[in-house]
Amino acid sequence: MYYNSSAHWGLKWDMRIVEAFIGEYASGKSENAINRALELLRQNRQVTIVDLDTVEPFYTLRPLKKKLEQLGLRVIAWDPAETTGLGEAGSLINQQMIWALRNEGDIILDIGYGAHGARILNLVEGAQDDPDLRLLVVVNIARPMTASVEDIVQYVQGLGTVHGLINNSHLGNETTLDIIQDGAVMVTEAARILQLPVIYTAVAREFAHLIGPHDKAGNPVKIIELFMHEAYW
Amino acid sequence: MKEKPVKGERRVFMTGNEVCAWAALAADADIMFGYPITPQTDIMQYWTRLAPKYGKKFLQTEDEISAGFTTLGAVIAGKRAFSATTGPGNVLFQEPMSMAEMMRIPVVLIIPMRGGPSTATVIYSQQEVTMTAFGGNGEGFRVVYSTAGHQDLYDYTIKAFNTAWKYRFPTFVLSDGYQGKMRESLTIYDPAERGIEMVKAEPMLGLPGIPGVDRPTRHLRNTYNTEEELYEVVMQIARDFEKAAPEIVEWQDFDTDSEMDVLILAHGVVSRAAQGALPLLKNEGIKAGHFRPITLRPMPEEQMRAAAARANRVVVVESAYGQFLKLVKETLYGMDKPIDAILRPGVGITAEEIVAEIKERR
Repeated sequence: MYYNSSAHWGLKWDMRIVEAFIGEYASGKSENAINRALELLRQNRQVTIVDLDTVEPFYTLRPLKKKLEQLGLRVIAWDPAETTGLGEAGSLINQQMIWALRNEGDIILDIGYGAHGARILNLVEGAQDDPDLRLLVVVNIARPMTASVEDIVQYVQGLGTVHGLINNSHLGNETTLDIIQDGAVMVTEAARILQLPVIYTAVAREFAHLIGPHDKAGNPVKIIELFMHEAYW
Repeated sequence: MKEKPVKGERRVFMTGNEVCAWAALAADADIMFGYPITPQTDIMQYWTRLAPKYGKKFLQTEDEISAGFTTLGAVIAGKRAFSATTGPGNVLFQEPMSMAEMMRIPVVLIIPMRGGPSTATVIYSQQEVTMTAFGGNGEGFRVVYSTAGHQDLYDYTIKAFNTAWKYRFPTFVLSDGYQGKMRESLTIYDPAERGIEMVKAEPMLGLPGIPGVDRPTRHLRNTYNTEEELYEVVMQIARDFEKAAPEIVEWQDFDTDSEMDVLILAHGVVSRAAQGALPLLKNEGIKAGHFRPITLRPMPEEQMRAAAARANRVVVVESAYGQFLKLVKETLYGMDKPIDAILRPGVGITAEEIVAEIKERR
C-alpha cells in the first residue's frame, strides 16, 4: 500500500485537517500541497487550498487556480489577471488569505519559501493557536541548503514549530531512484535528531514501481501527480 | 580558515539566481554590495543567507550608484567584491562602471535582465545588451558573458572574477529574469578541484613602502587635464582591450560545419530555443545551423563570420528590438549576406516560433 491516508496522525474521519507545507525554492512544497488537497478531496472531504506564497507571482498556485477549482477544490489565491498592472508590487496578502483558517472543512496552506516564508503565518488570523494546524517541511536534498543531515537539521530548526518532514528529493527531469533513496536516508536521520516524524517520501508516478510502497529508510511512499510545470502565466 | 562552501562535485537543483550566489561563494568572493530590484533580489537574499556561514560580507547601500562605487572601493582595498542589478538599476550602475573602465578596476556585475524601457516588467527581456556592453560615457571596454542556463551561470560567474582580475576590465554576467527564476539541475564544484586557480585580489592603494622610493607611484585617475593626455590613456586601454579580446572570446556552434540554408544567431536563453529549433527545421527539410556568441563583448567576430559564410542567409533572434542585431550587423559588415531578424522585445521565444517564422519568410 502506498501512502494515501491521514492515518499517520491518528485522525478520525470527522476531524478537521489543517496542514501547511513549507520548504525551499524548488523543494516541491506546492506539488505536495496540491496532491494532499486532492487526496482529501477524493475522500469526499471539503478542502480549501490557500496560496500564501507572497514571494513569487509565478511557480505558485496562481496560474493553476482555475484548473484546481475545476477539480473541485476551493482555491484562495490571486487570479493572475487580478494582479496585472501591479508589477513587482503584485505579491500581496488579501482578506481571504488572512481569514483562511476560518473556512469550513480541511485547509491546506502552501507557504512561500524559506524561513521568511513561515513568518507569513503571523499574518494569518488564528494560526498561532489553531489546535489542528500542522507544519510540514518539504525537503529536497538536491537543494544545497538542505543537502546534508546537518544542513536539514539547521534549516528546520530555523523555521520554528514544525510537525513533520517530507522527503521530496528530486533533480527535476534528471531525477533518479538514488537521489530519492539518499534523500530518504538523510531526511530520516535529520528527523530522528529533530525528534520529528517523516510523513512520507514523495515520488512521481514513474518511480512508483522502482521504489515500491516503502523507501529505503522504511517511510511510506506517496505517489504524486505533477502540476507545477503548468504554473506559468 | 573557514570551511569551503562547495566541496567536490555535486548535482543540485535550484533557481538561477541562487546559482549566482553559490558561484560567487565558490569563487571565494569576499563581499557583495547591492540594492534590491526584481528579478535580481534573490541573488542578494541567497548571498545574505549564505555569507555569514562562510565569513563573507554584505552591505545594502542606499541605491545602485552607491552599490557600484562601494564595490569599486572594496576592490581597490583588495577585496574580491561584486554586485548584481537589473533594468533601472543597471542604468544607475553605468557611472561607477565607467569609472572602473577608466581606472582599470576589476569588478563583477551580474545582470538578470528585466523588461524595458524604464521600470517596464520585472519578468524578462534581452533589452540590456546595449547598456551592458556599451553603457556609460566611454567606449565599452568591458567583458560581457551571456549565459544560457544554470550550468553557464555557475561556470561564467566563477570565470567572470578571473577575467575581471586578470585583464582588469569590468566583467558582466548577463542573465535574464527567466534564468533567474527558472529551476533546473546543474553540477556545482570547487573551482580549485578542477584546476581553476582564482586570480588573487590585491589592494590597489595603500601599499607598503614609500611611493616613488620603495615602489612606483600608483595614481588611479578618472580625470585628465588635457585632450592629448586623455587620448593617450584611452588609446592604451583600447590596445589592451583589443589584445585581450582573442583570449576572452567564447562561442558555441551547432550544425554549422557544412553549407546551410539558414544560420540562426541568438545569445543567452534564446539560444536554447534556437538549439531546439534545429531538429524541427531538419524535419521540415530546412538545413539550419546555429551560432551562439557567449561573449557579446568582445564579440567572437572571426568565428561568427566563418559560420555566416557557410549559410545562404542569417536570421537574428532576440527578446529585444534589435540590440543584438546591431552587434551582428557590425560583426558581419562587408559580407554579402541577407540578414533577417525575429525581434520580440521583452517576451520569450520558443523553438516552435522560430521554426514558424523561418518557414514563413523562406
